[in-house]
Amino acid sequence: MKQKPFQQSDEEIAALVQAGDIDFFGVLIHRYKEKIIRYARKFLSNNEDINDIIQEIFIKAYKNIQSFGIKRKFSSWLYRIAHNELVNALKKRKKKILPLFELDTFLPHSLQDESLIQNIDRQDTQKMINKCLDRLEPKYREPIILYYLEDLSYKEIAEVMRVPISTVGIRIKRAKEIMKSIFKKLEYSL
Amino acid sequence: MNNQQEKNSIIDKVLNKIKSGRVKMKPKIYFILKTVLLISGTLVLISFIIYFVSFVIFSLRVSGVLFLPKFGFSGMKIFLNSLPWFLILIIAILIILLEIFAKKFTFVYRRPILYSLLGIIMIVFIGSFLIDKTPFHSNLFWKAQQRRLPGIGMVYRNFGAPRIGNVHHGAVSEVIDNGFKIETPCGEALTIVVSPKISLILKTDIKEGDAIVVLGKRSNSTVQAFDIRKVEKDLNLFQSQRVRGYKSFWK
Repeated sequence: MKQKPFQQSDEEIAALVQAGDIDFFGVLIHRYKEKIIRYARKFLSNNEDINDIIQEIFIKAYKNIQSFGIKRKFSSWLYRIAHNELVNALKKRKKKILPLFELDTFLPHSLQDESLIQNIDRQDTQKMINKCLDRLEPKYREPIILYYLEDLSYKEIAEVMRVPISTVGIRIKRAKEIMKSIFKKLEYSL
Repeated sequence: MNNQQEKNSIIDKVLNKIKSGRVKMKPKIYFILKTVLLISGTLVLISFIIYFVSFVIFSLRVSGVLFLPKFGFSGMKIFLNSLPWFLILIIAILIILLEIFAKKFTFVYRRPILYSLLGIIMIVFIGSFLIDKTPFHSNLFWKAQQRRLPGIGMVYRNFGAPRIGNVHHGAVSEVIDNGFKIETPCGEALTIVVSPKISLILKTDIKEGDAIVVLGKRSNSTVQAFDIRKVEKDLNLFQSQRVRGYKSFWK
């Protein structure tokens, strides 16, 4: 018996789209539209730009869906497309050349314990994020959003940003330190 | 338009474009070919780097520069001045290019760049070491000398065996009263005249068939030696230069 779309995993639906069932692509858009819009809004403020970019992200996902291996996670793959689109949009807007290699991807770092962070300070950090996120550099902002707001694991974030897993841990740690200092300044000024 | 309507309109626009055929899915073969191209490009780049590195080692050996660090600080200074920096710059650029290529592979970008760079350097050195054990460059060098190698032959003629100021090397063909006669890897016969100050040590140490490196001023085919060093046989440095046409010691 054929499963209903809402019972199937993203990867199973992606396989159906690959096989030519293009209507199922609508299911994937429904599942991810909110998340991708929220993700894009953390980087871009202009609504017109965001709408165009969201359309472009889903169109690129459809065009390239045959490159998706169903053993991978669909969410990481889609966020990777979104990441590329947003990086391009930011490059155009700031007319800035991004470095080929970031220094923190060069050397190995000890891996931060993900579960420990999750239990101790998730709620505190989410409070800070709401107040300080727009003051963070994109390279720190992105892993924070993906980890605390979009619930992606370090491994998935590493796939999206194409950086080593240990770099994700270091960036999240640094982002939190920066946010703490911004948060303190804000509290004093209130 | 409220938020919900806006979101729905995005979905409708995307689905309309897909259903009307304005947006088409790229076929699987496109991605397979892209991957094949990426892998081939990476392999070609690795081959180029290995070729250049092994060529630099070959050229350093043929010119005698490779043995200069044996002369201590002064030798090291000439060694650094004589390195083919232009070729080394090309190699560095190719390695950076290879790192950019390699970062497209999951097993590369998941690890720190330092690891992939070390991996690349290791592959390049092992590859160059293996090439160096074959007569590959010697054969090409010889063909280039005979003008039988178009294109790349120019590289061998220009960089293959640069003459470095006061550095000479070769195998001792005869021990004479005031020094030695040597035959260079290019088949040239040179007479090495040593000062009495160093000759005593040399007489007991160097014999016919030994490979030596000489620092000294040359006039015609005679070299007034300031310093001489014997090259360790187990380094196998001269043996791999079995250039066709080289006589006696180089065969």
